[in-house]
Amino acid sequence: MDIGFILINATIVACIYGLIAVAVSITWSSLGLLNLSYGFIFSFAGYGAYLAARMLSDHPIVVLTAGILVGALGGIIICMLVFIPLHDKPNFTIRGMIGTLAISLIGSQCLLWYFGPKNKALPEVFGYWKVSIGNTVLTSDKIGIIVCSILMLVFVVLWMKSSRRGLEIRAMMMNPHAASIVGIGIRKTGFYVMAITGGMAGLSAVLLSQTYYIAPFSGLTPLIKGVSIALCGGLGSVQGAVIAAIILGITEALTSRLLGGQYVLITQFLVIITILIIRPRGIAGLLDKAREQ
Amino acid sequence: MSEILNVQGLSAGYGPLRVIHDLDLIVSSGERVGLVGLNGHGKTTLFYGIAGLTGWQRGSILFNGNQIGRTRSQGPGRYTHHIVRQGLAIMPQGDEIFHGLTVEEHLDSGAFTKQAWKTRKQRKEQVLDLFEPLKMLLKTPVARLSGGERRMVSIGRGLMTDAKLYLADEPSLGLAPKIGKGVMEALLKIELSNSAMIIAEQNVALLEGKVDRVIGMHAGKLKGEASSALSMHLK
Repeated sequence: MDIGFILINATIVACIYGLIAVAVSITWSSLGLLNLSYGFIFSFAGYGAYLAARMLSDHPIVVLTAGILVGALGGIIICMLVFIPLHDKPNFTIRGMIGTLAISLIGSQCLLWYFGPKNKALPEVFGYWKVSIGNTVLTSDKIGIIVCSILMLVFVVLWMKSSRRGLEIRAMMMNPHAASIVGIGIRKTGFYVMAITGGMAGLSAVLLSQTYYIAPFSGLTPLIKGVSIALCGGLGSVQGAVIAAIILGITEALTSRLLGGQYVLITQFLVIITILIIRPRGIAGLLDKAREQ
Repeated sequence: MSEILNVQGLSAGYGPLRVIHDLDLIVSSGERVGLVGLNGHGKTTLFYGIAGLTGWQRGSILFNGNQIGRTRSQGPGRYTHHIVRQGLAIMPQGDEIFHGLTVEEHLDSGAFTKQAWKTRKQRKEQVLDLFEPLKMLLKTPVARLSGGERRMVSIGRGLMTDAKLYLADEPSLGLAPKIGKGVMEALLKIELSNSAMIIAEQNVALLEGKVDRVIGMHAGKLKGEASSALSMHLK
């Protein structure tokens, strides 16, 4: 059993699910919306990238950009359909959760109706070369997945830290009431948040489809894992989501190596439940009542 | 002297509770108005009503000639950013701050208009001249500041744009008398050539002789010189 192989698999899983977990986390803390529609956005962006690869060109940059842009579009659609009509109504948290889940299921059914149940494969975006370090062989798609997702994550974090929109989003994460006092419009910011997190889900769809296929319901597992990683890391915390993604990535890689792939979900959820029993607010969750409604 | 704010028949509240009862208020440019009243008599709700942040409201509010009042029964804060962008600076009471942002980012977040955002460096310096103690704390998260420093941050945030109307909500509340006085002096230093300011305060001594007129607030209604024109008429 070689450690390098396990580490790399762990990193890849952490990268892909980490992207979705960070997206869930950001939406929750800035909009107060537990967005369960990333499953739909995920498949939507996958099909978008597939169409772009077939109709435009299968150049890697085109496919990746198409995935991100279609994902962002999906996010904006969800924002218009769920967030805008519901956000100032009572019980928004529950309604928003149900609304996004409903849109996710309806959207996936529409994809099934339009594209059919047959799985679609994306072109190999990252080529076929490989690098070996020691006795570990790194194939191009693994390196590509790791580099792309880390780049996206760094971009999002830097954008949140340095740009004006990022400042608005962070301000809204901390105190939505005070944010409106300083002139930050919650609806407009909602569109930014949903677009950027949708883009993250779109990128992770393209990256995951390098190893799996695109299917109407292929977003379901990433959604469940993303949401549970976000819960485990403490909803609303980007660092927590990243740490939880790494922990669960290692769990998944170790389990599939030592016990077998069919036990992955069992061990993962055991780890998540253990963490949440020991530390109910998640790894880096806020104790502040920054977002209590 | 032009009218900055003209409130007619404003009622506002939260849920079944009616806090403000058919209130009229006129504030002209260049005026500094003190609003005095006990806890729970609607000072903050009046400010929030102007900003559209109460649970429900009705009545006319002319701000700079534009109608910003509306009858609504839900959606607190939905239009607040539009109103704020027309030149309303609210310095809220208590901890209406962003805990994780540093003082500098906080001041930046107050500069919400395009012009203000471009000139935010100069503006920050002006604010820091008013509040000397903040100079050392620019990179500190606001959550680590003391109460007085937080109040300075939230007032400084309100000063980052050229507002037409400043609403300062109990600037001295909960502060040591000396610090409270300093904060109040900083507020009184702000030049109001084309704008107006309403300071809500419980401590009348801090306002006496320093503001143009003092209005009392009792049980959701204004007592006293509700508008300068009105008070002239009474005399």
